Amino acid sequence: MQPIVLGVIAGSIYALIALGIVLVYKGSRVLNFAQAEVGTLSLYATWWVSTKHHQPWALGALASIVAAVGIGLLFERLVIRRMMTAPRVTVAVATIGLFSLMLAIELALFAGTIYTLPAPIAGGGVQVAGVFVSASQWLALGVVIAVALALAAFLRYTDFGLAVQASADDPVAAQLMGTPRGLISAFTWGVAGALSAVAVLLIEPTVGVLAPGAFSGLFIGGLTAALVGGLSSLPGAFVGGLLVGIAEAEVKAHLVLASVPSVQTTAMLVIVLAVLLLRPQGVLGRRA
Amino acid sequence: MTTTTHDAADVLQLRGIRAGFGSQTIIHGVDLDVAAGKVTGIFGLNGAGKSVLLKVVAGVVPTWSGRIELDGADITRLLPEQRVALGMAHVPQGRQVFPSLSVEQNLRVGAYTLRRRDKRRYDGNLQRVFDTFPRLAERRRQPAGTLSGGEQAMLAVGRALINDPKVVLIDEPSAGLAPAIVEDLLEVLLGVRDLGLTMLLVEQNIRFGLRLTDHACLLQKGRIVYSGATADLDEDRLASYLGVGRLLSHDLATGLGRKPPTPRPRVRRGSTSRPRTTPA
Amino acid sequence: MSVAGTRPLPVVPAARSARRSRLSPRTANALTAALLFVALPLMTVHAMPKLLQQHDYLNLDVGVSLAVAALSLNLLLGYAGQISLGHAGLLAAGAFASGIATSRWHLSMVLGFLFAVVISAALALVVGLPALRLRGLYLAIVTVIFGLVMQYSVLRADVFSGGSAGVALPRRLWGDHVSTDNAGYLVAVLLLLLAVWLLDDNVVRTRVGRALRTIRENESVAQSFGIDVVRYKLLAFVLSGALAGLAGAMYGHAIGFVNNESPFNFNLSLQLVIIVIVGGLGHRLAVIIAALFFWVLPSFISGLHAWAYVVGALLLMVTVSQHPDGIADLLTRRRRPPAPAEDEDDELPELPQLPVPVRSHVAAPLSSAVPVLEVEEVVVRFGGLHAVDGATLAVNAGQIVGLIGPNGAGKSTLFNAVSGLVAIERGRIRYRGQEIHQLRSDQRARLGIARSFQQVGLAKDLSVRENFLLAQHQLAAYGDLEALLMLPRAARQEREFRDRTEAAIDALGFGPLADVPVRHLSGGQQRIAEIACLLMTAPDLVMLDEPSAGMAPAAAENLAARLRDLRDVLGRTVLLIEHNVPLVLDTCDHVYVLDAGRLIAAGTPREVAADQRVIDAYFGAAVPA
Repeated sequence: MQPIVLGVIAGSIYALIALGIVLVYKGSRVLNFAQAEVGTLSLYATWWVSTKHHQPWALGALASIVAAVGIGLLFERLVIRRMMTAPRVTVAVATIGLFSLMLAIELALFAGTIYTLPAPIAGGGVQVAGVFVSASQWLALGVVIAVALALAAFLRYTDFGLAVQASADDPVAAQLMGTPRGLISAFTWGVAGALSAVAVLLIEPTVGVLAPGAFSGLFIGGLTAALVGGLSSLPGAFVGGLLVGIAEAEVKAHLVLASVPSVQTTAMLVIVLAVLLLRPQGVLGRRA
Repeated sequence: MTTTTHDAADVLQLRGIRAGFGSQTIIHGVDLDVAAGKVTGIFGLNGAGKSVLLKVVAGVVPTWSGRIELDGADITRLLPEQRVALGMAHVPQGRQVFPSLSVEQNLRVGAYTLRRRDKRRYDGNLQRVFDTFPRLAERRRQPAGTLSGGEQAMLAVGRALINDPKVVLIDEPSAGLAPAIVEDLLEVLLGVRDLGLTMLLVEQNIRFGLRLTDHACLLQKGRIVYSGATADLDEDRLASYLGVGRLLSHDLATGLGRKPPTPRPRVRRGSTSRPRTTPA
Repeated sequence: MSVAGTRPLPVVPAARSARRSRLSPRTANALTAALLFVALPLMTVHAMPKLLQQHDYLNLDVGVSLAVAALSLNLLLGYAGQISLGHAGLLAAGAFASGIATSRWHLSMVLGFLFAVVISAALALVVGLPALRLRGLYLAIVTVIFGLVMQYSVLRADVFSGGSAGVALPRRLWGDHVSTDNAGYLVAVLLLLLAVWLLDDNVVRTRVGRALRTIRENESVAQSFGIDVVRYKLLAFVLSGALAGLAGAMYGHAIGFVNNESPFNFNLSLQLVIIVIVGGLGHRLAVIIAALFFWVLPSFISGLHAWAYVVGALLLMVTVSQHPDGIADLLTRRRRPPAPAEDEDDELPELPQLPVPVRSHVAAPLSSAVPVLEVEEVVVRFGGLHAVDGATLAVNAGQIVGLIGPNGAGKSTLFNAVSGLVAIERGRIRYRGQEIHQLRSDQRARLGIARSFQQVGLAKDLSVRENFLLAQHQLAAYGDLEALLMLPRAARQEREFRDRTEAAIDALGFGPLADVPVRHLSGGQQRIAEIACLLMTAPDLVMLDEPSAGMAPAAAENLAARLRDLRDVLGRTVLLIEHNVPLVLDTCDHVYVLDAGRLIAAGTPREVAADQRVIDAYFGAAVPA
């Protein structure tokens, strides 16, 4: 039971990264290597507002989200929009460039000092099935579920959300129906930025420290989740995130082999490999 | 569908259109008038530039020089979605519907610009599309990807009509479709034609195209080499422009000038699997 | 990292002018390369010994190793189109292998390099196996996983590194003799770079490179040219792995010590991909220059500030968004052809009588008793749809046989069944009496069956010249190893292929257009090139899928004459799918009519044209009576 509780909490945050990866993949057919790093850099905005200027955590969190959305929009406008007809592997390299840029800025501005953030919410935690779950972790769980539901509802029930889905099916046909292609592309990158920031904000209390590249592991977890979900399904990404979180926790709890280094990471990677080779459409994917 | 009849004879006007890719000119100065309430067809060989011309009108391929007017308004520099908002609608080639969306969601996306202006009119138009294609009403919650080919064709056409368009652009409707579905599609389009809609059609399949159009333009290497009433097209002209030869003349002799004389009833049956050998 | 806005690649004019000289292109190329990679740096080193500190040597060594690693990835990604985001894992394997060989087994560095090559090649073969099933992003992720597993797990195991402690890489010459001569090692790595360049050159100049580039562009086109796609994909991985192992060992011996973390981590893999993309996929000189810029330039700027990386990342994004085809794009743009003249008529020149190649297989003698092609009760099904439903036909030697029918009748599917692109569910296909429906498409091509595709079946990113060479793929009797080392037989056959190619180019008047990517040619020119490609292998059976599609009527008439030439002058047997009915009536000896996957009529053109069933099916009850 213990690993499941831990796994659901970690997995829900993977799910947020996975949602961002899937959203961008559907919109631009490209894997965004910077999906976790945009949020990491933006988190320094929270530090600036909440630690340095002693404002409430929520205000700092907002600053971080705004920064991440801004980065996403700028990247879409300046790079993605110009590469609409470029080979996808080249666009992927552009996102690697964004990843490098984020990391380089972190290193240039913030390397060598320890930065800490205030706790999101005060108060202790609750014991669940023998595991101490802190208030911040409860917050994370609640926020993730709320964000995922809100995103799903937006895509399903609003005209613009439907236009985003239509554009994922066929961007030119969607444009011919009168949907604004540029705005849709900007929307997916902006939301991906926000999801990145929220994911990093929520995992930070568990890691406890803010440092360049501290949350890069989130990307591997999120990518795994997105793949398990089939890469182009939002519900799949969410469930994939939970599955990956639980699987990781189970592996950590039960698989201890001294002779094989980093056995947990390796086991995760082997799971991904198996998914890819046996069910390339994802565990929950539809296409055969 | 309300028929948007105007006193101005031409809904869509192209003057001196040049366009292409990179350094290659594909459309060399095309003039074209699409008359209100009529179906205009553009025919030509593979590579003549038919589809590019339609994409230029849609705004997907930029115009190098020349002027495009929709109902008197200059749309030459507008984005595709802005042209749609001004009354252009499309039945795109290939996979014509959004497979992951339901039938009704497809129609909602088709009405994107209308719903931004006037949500109430959308409700009425949706009802009319469902009246025209009862089959779609039955399947309104079904993902469009699971529809039969004929039903997808109805959805693609219905989606174009829901905006009350001034002109509907139809790109190679018969391309890549099984013959039986082509028949269904023709049925649907003939029904729509009788509603008095203005349409511009690009088609490779001449037999299909001739049955649908009032006015035909023959495109050769990016230039219009013939423009006139479809009924005036004789086999010699077609043969010389398109290289369609002797055997086909037989077809033309029986087919030309014998378009269904009586106005067709609205397409109600929504048939999908009529055997293609059934004579109309 | 600054690549975009720097000086414009000074070496290229040299290479080009060398090509124009009287030396054979190959010798000139080798000389240019030798000059570039060895002489210039050596002169620099010896002229200014005081300027180079030990860490400068280190930086140069590492830069050259990176260049080899980039060439390795370029071979895989640039030529074959298979992505690897785990190349650092292959480099690491090479470095560890050479380290273990030299530090634990006390072997010479030369043997260490060899061991590294073998180990990394073997590993790359394993990484390449999923590439047979997965492509694009999914393949990329498999290679990421490979890199990470190497980094986090395998290389940390005690047997390899004693935990994460790492492995030392002494520059052991023999026995206990360990070299400390920095200039000597720099010369050695430069010579290795030269060797890799020459090997790469051999890949590009033989059927190996042509096969890889065609696979990158379109696997079905590659198959139709008789290329065994599976084998060449794996070969690309193995070759790339071998070079990556070499690069890793060079790197390792340069710095003298490696462990699993540094420098062979995920970032190195990403950096290599960046180098290849920024340089330009498949443009090896640009790739080498990019590699050197990425490593050597920053490392010589003393006191590199952290902000330099920020600038570098920005430059990377600017470069890829402004020049998606890499900096090599700046060079090739000038070579684009002038736009074709506006009212060019697509007149087909006469088809050349090409020298008949020596066949690598023995074909059964042609006999008029046995039809060249027999199709018997063949059924092809896609899901529930019977695309071909029990079709039977025979094609006799020396005839032009037409296959007509309405759209969707199954004509092209039947072609695919005969050429081996789709499997048949029932029935038999015999070629000169021999059953062939179990053979792969490349094996059938090798027997003498050539086909064209409705959407022009050329490799469109390659030039006419390259396509003509490609068309002779299946004639090559030399093995891939012979090709890589350019042994005499490979060199001789390549010369023959080139001569035949030049003859065809001259005969067809392609002269000025011979080096232009095929996609920039007009539809008619592409069609000519395509038919000529079919003839390059001197096939017995030529299958043409709508050769007149997109042609102006005059050109189509001209095509009829060329088809008759095929039969009467060149003695080929032709099977023809056509919609242009006059063309069929004028040229064919025999016509089959297909409708809904079934044969509905056969006979002479005159008989078929008069057949009421044909008129009904072809022109259809679709016409309202």
